[in-house]
Amino acid sequence: MAVIAGRPKRGALLPSWLTDATNSRIGSLVLYVIRRLLWMIPVVFFVIVITFILMHSAAGSPWDKSGGRQLSQVIVDNLNKKYGLDKPVFQQFLLYIWNVLHFDFGLSYQYQGKSVVELIGGGWPYTATIGVLAFCLIVPIGVGLGVLAALRQNTRVDYATVGFATFSASFPNFVIGSLMIVFFSVLLYKWTGGQFFLPAGGWGLDDHLIMPAVTLALLPIAYTARLTRASTLETIRQDYIRTAWAKGLPERLVVIRHVLKNSLIPVVTTLGPTFAFLVTGSVIVETVFSIPGIGRAFVVAVTSRDYPMILGTTVLFSIIIAVANLVVDVLYVFIDPRVRLT
Amino acid sequence: MHLGVSIRALTLATAGFFVVSACGPTNNTPSANLAPADKQTLSVNDGTEPNSYDPTQQTYTYEAGVGRETFESLLKPNPAGTDVTPAAAEKFDVSSDGLTYTFHLRTNAKWSDGKAVTAADWVYGYQHFLNPALAAGYVDPFFDTTIKGADNYANVDVSSSSAIDSFISGLGLSATDANTFVIKLQHPAAFFKWVVTLWVAVPIRKDVVEQAAGGTFPSNDTTKPLKWAQSVNTIIGNGPYKISEIVSKDHVTLVPNTGYWGGAPHLQKIVENFIEDANTAFAKYQTGDLDMMTVPLADVDVVRNDPVLSKQAKVYPKLTTFWMTFNAQKSPFDNPDVRMAFAKSIDRDKLNKQVQHDIQQSIMSFIPKGMAGYDTSDKSQSFDAAAAKALLTKAGVTAAQLNKFKLLTRNTTRNKTLNQFIVDQWNTNLGLNMQLEVIDSKTVTSRIRKGQFDIYGPDGWGADYPDQQDWYDIFFKNSCHSLNWGCVDLPGYDTLVQKADGELDQNARNKDYNTAQKQLIDTAAVAFIYQDYEYNLIKPYVGNLTITAGDDQSLPGNFYWHEAYITAH
Repeated sequence: MAVIAGRPKRGALLPSWLTDATNSRIGSLVLYVIRRLLWMIPVVFFVIVITFILMHSAAGSPWDKSGGRQLSQVIVDNLNKKYGLDKPVFQQFLLYIWNVLHFDFGLSYQYQGKSVVELIGGGWPYTATIGVLAFCLIVPIGVGLGVLAALRQNTRVDYATVGFATFSASFPNFVIGSLMIVFFSVLLYKWTGGQFFLPAGGWGLDDHLIMPAVTLALLPIAYTARLTRASTLETIRQDYIRTAWAKGLPERLVVIRHVLKNSLIPVVTTLGPTFAFLVTGSVIVETVFSIPGIGRAFVVAVTSRDYPMILGTTVLFSIIIAVANLVVDVLYVFIDPRVRLT
Repeated sequence: MHLGVSIRALTLATAGFFVVSACGPTNNTPSANLAPADKQTLSVNDGTEPNSYDPTQQTYTYEAGVGRETFESLLKPNPAGTDVTPAAAEKFDVSSDGLTYTFHLRTNAKWSDGKAVTAADWVYGYQHFLNPALAAGYVDPFFDTTIKGADNYANVDVSSSSAIDSFISGLGLSATDANTFVIKLQHPAAFFKWVVTLWVAVPIRKDVVEQAAGGTFPSNDTTKPLKWAQSVNTIIGNGPYKISEIVSKDHVTLVPNTGYWGGAPHLQKIVENFIEDANTAFAKYQTGDLDMMTVPLADVDVVRNDPVLSKQAKVYPKLTTFWMTFNAQKSPFDNPDVRMAFAKSIDRDKLNKQVQHDIQQSIMSFIPKGMAGYDTSDKSQSFDAAAAKALLTKAGVTAAQLNKFKLLTRNTTRNKTLNQFIVDQWNTNLGLNMQLEVIDSKTVTSRIRKGQFDIYGPDGWGADYPDQQDWYDIFFKNSCHSLNWGCVDLPGYDTLVQKADGELDQNARNKDYNTAQKQLIDTAAVAFIYQDYEYNLIKPYVGNLTITAGDDQSLPGNFYWHEAYITAH
């Protein structure tokens, strides 16, 4: 993406309606989005190529067992025939691409008779729910704490925020998750005689969501808070902020209208990938809290060499990341009027 | 049986048979303080969702944990694991030549949709299972080596439906009347009564399969015949329970099959959760969400020191033996003296105390405690560092030669800790400086299949059923690269074991198997290390559990859950 202030004349040979469209702010934005969406096709194609190569070069077959009696050669041969693995890899690749063009992502090797679309479609809502919830915690808390710390720099509020951010960033997810289970489930259950406690895992659209969402959100909150603090500190030293104060604007207006709008640009940049990371799921959070999402399914697919499932999830992840980045780029236009997308 | 290992599972779980009298109340008459019907719910952790809800396609213990409740085999192991007991078949006769098994089915057995179970359903179920195009994992070696006509299983062209049809119609399976199911064998096999206890050998409803598939299909179709197992409405079984709800990767809910011949069970609901993280399961047990669970090794001491939990702990043996495998095709491990030196330089008791929290038991023989054939009289592999060193000297092998070899290890915490201890034992007791080679599980499997390793372990076996035949074929010459990873050369072993497999006289069989076991121990075919024990927590209000060593992982008593109940609490 190119972010430029003002733009040169070009496209003299294009029809005038197109030139007009590219010259208008919204028109150029629409064209930009369309172009970026079209770019996703080669991106996804190369993601498939690379995943395909890596996947088939990893040792082990989908039919190897992790212990005990292995399937006999006869059964392995029949399974290979059933799933088309007896064909040359290149042919398998072409067949896969052909099927993907028809929106057929194949059948999972591991879960018999289930299609990849069905498995991902079944698991992703869980992952996305936790991810979106975590995102809803990250934006207000992360940005809020960051701004607060910057405005009250070198006070107790600032130290507490920075301390909290450092603390949450240093603890790995699984430690936080496990500790939360010990405190909010096991010990709370003991202390309250089973009257009040948070469920230690499993799925439910209720208090089951609290611990996984918080665990998932903690690190991004810390990161966002630190970033917001740094960028706000930089902004409040600008001349136009001093002017805003000087002309007697109330703090609320200075902060919201002048500081926040400018200090948020780097934060928005990171929130895009953060959102993509959240909704593609975390294997650790999903394992610790026993959530049937696709973050865990992806890792299980890799360890069990479930090729169609690996490809399906990788394609989904790449699309999510591409879209999230695109959304961020588009958001710039609305945050910063100088930004034009070409 | 395949040892099912989930991503973070710390235990290598498996199956076997052994009865523990001290486990739970065993009186069959429910006491007066039964919990009301709406509280008759058993919540357990099955670890991982079955890959298929079609029992014929299941290979792991966590899959059988669902399959055994929803479908019932002809026979099942008795609580003591010493013999079979009637299940779906009321009784069975064996012809005097040992070649024809006639199963008399119960006349009052019903499917979960209310229809009567017929012998034709049994024939169809076995045929579905033995269809080579569907490649069910448990056909070989249990069924293709026993059932008449099935020996051709490997040679059927799976793309041709006529080839499959002629193979299936040629199998020794028949329904002589609505309640008589006859199986003919290729050769006498005294263990066949155990083979039909497997969860894969069940009846299946042809009309349900075809309805779910949207009509009839050619027998080389590999997806349509499995469609029925995708939906709760079409998973119709003959077992004591039926599935009422599947929340994929989260749990299944089982409710009683009202037509089950055994009558109405006390437990009105069984929830089988799929919690992979053992620590999470432990927390859920402590907060009352689970009624039983397998304690992760790391938490064993927590349980022991907890005044409440320690009273709910049950320890019992599983029919599982673990060992270390030497690549006998590689010098110097082709020399029995070298293998024996390694086998004799492991202090197994210390291993169990320091690494296994004193739960597993040391073993220096093949057949585990609790099965016919358990015999510890041969102490050839017992710990003796001096004798081990002497064996190395005798073999003329130097430390420098051995130091270049590595112990191939799967990258789970449990395997790494265990193997680190074992390598330390070898290094200390034999004066070596050997290393571990830790890699991911799939790569390890692919390497041992190709014989690309020096020493590998822990490798093990869990009984599919408590007959020795299930064990000894591991070390056949033709199992080389398929389970006999080390491809160890055992002169006369195959002939002896095959003779024992075919013998009808149990005493003669046991004697031959014992000779074979001695050969495995004395030539250090592998170094036997320990027998697996289960360390479970069971809530005190779960009554009338019949725990056998054959129970599927983390599911104590699951062969007899339809007799269990919840007491008021």
